[in-house]
Amino acid sequence: MLRRSRVTLWLAGSVLAAAGCAALALTLATVHAQDSKARTTDGKPNFSGMYEWPKAEPGLEACRCSATVFNRKLFPPFKPGGEPFYEPRTGDPRHDEPRSYCMPAGFPSGMLSANAVQFTQNKDYLVIVHEFQRMTRIIPLDGRPHRTGQEPTYYGDPVGHWEGDTLVIDTNNFKRWSLDDYYYTNPKEYRMHSEALRTTERIRWKDAKTLSYSLTIDDPKIFTSAFTQEFTMKAKPEWDKVGLFEYVCEENNRCPGGKCATP
Amino acid sequence: MQCRWFLSALFTLSLSSVPAVAHHSFSAEYDETKPVKVTGVVTKVEWQNPHIWFYVDSKDDNGKVTHWAFSGGAPGQLMRRGILKEVIQPGMTVNVEGFRAKDGSNNANGAKVTFPDGRSVFTAGAEDKIPGQK
Repeated sequence: MLRRSRVTLWLAGSVLAAAGCAALALTLATVHAQDSKARTTDGKPNFSGMYEWPKAEPGLEACRCSATVFNRKLFPPFKPGGEPFYEPRTGDPRHDEPRSYCMPAGFPSGMLSANAVQFTQNKDYLVIVHEFQRMTRIIPLDGRPHRTGQEPTYYGDPVGHWEGDTLVIDTNNFKRWSLDDYYYTNPKEYRMHSEALRTTERIRWKDAKTLSYSLTIDDPKIFTSAFTQEFTMKAKPEWDKVGLFEYVCEENNRCPGGKCATP
Repeated sequence: MQCRWFLSALFTLSLSSVPAVAHHSFSAEYDETKPVKVTGVVTKVEWQNPHIWFYVDSKDDNGKVTHWAFSGGAPGQLMRRGILKEVIQPGMTVNVEGFRAKDGSNNANGAKVTFPDGRSVFTAGAEDKIPGQK
């Protein structure tokens, strides 16, 4: 009798465990769908998956690095009397190369860094994690407005909404910071955006393996109008096996600002 | 055998495009007017962010040993290319070409690493200068 009860319990436990594993597998399959036909529970495109960083069309302006940079031909005229776009270098590496002290890349510069990007999405949020600096952006999709009364930040305050199958992310409340990595190519062109920056990202499937990633830069303190550059992000489902690697800049930053620790 | 496999993988991968390290620009830390070329034995490898570092002891004709420290790419970017930390290990003899740190110390950017069998790999970020290239 006792033995039969134990067998029954074992069987019940096994069935429950199997059911649990199946449920977990289904959840993971949903999270890592990375299929241009995948949808969230509210029927919107589900972009969850691994991607290459946004890349511009070949032949446009290149950086002396493999990060993507903005195409200067798209820059509108500067606003007369506006804030400067090019920040003069001062010789102080904390000002000229803040990232070498592990300061944040900020948005949009960090988004354009040449590293893997992971999207995780449900109907309420899109979470974008970039391997570089483990930059994390949590984007509400539930229709809430921007937060108010916040201090400006390196990554701004994003909110998302849908226009058909296109996700539109509107971000404001930025701290003045570098727009991209072009200063790697020409240190005299340290491109800065102002605190008035407002960005609009438009994300949709371009084809089964590629996202269209359109980025509008609207900085009325610097430019007379907004400009938009089109990028693409290639889906890399094979990267999902290893996921994102850790990136802790402070771990062994031996030469901040050119001052190295003794070997 | 394992080492041979890694070197083979390393060589293959070194021919492919090199993702960049976006941590800092080359000019922030290194002086492109001061190239260095060092042959010696690897004494230590730090496979850590934001850049890997490997340490090389080189001996001159009089037997005097100089300690060098070379930086390379970020571990994650190297690993995503299939380059694991086993490719460069203490005890290996290497020839390293790079550029010296701005502070004049024996720290340098290890742009090109060549193994005794002639195979080489770039461990530095793509934004870093490669000796002999403009």
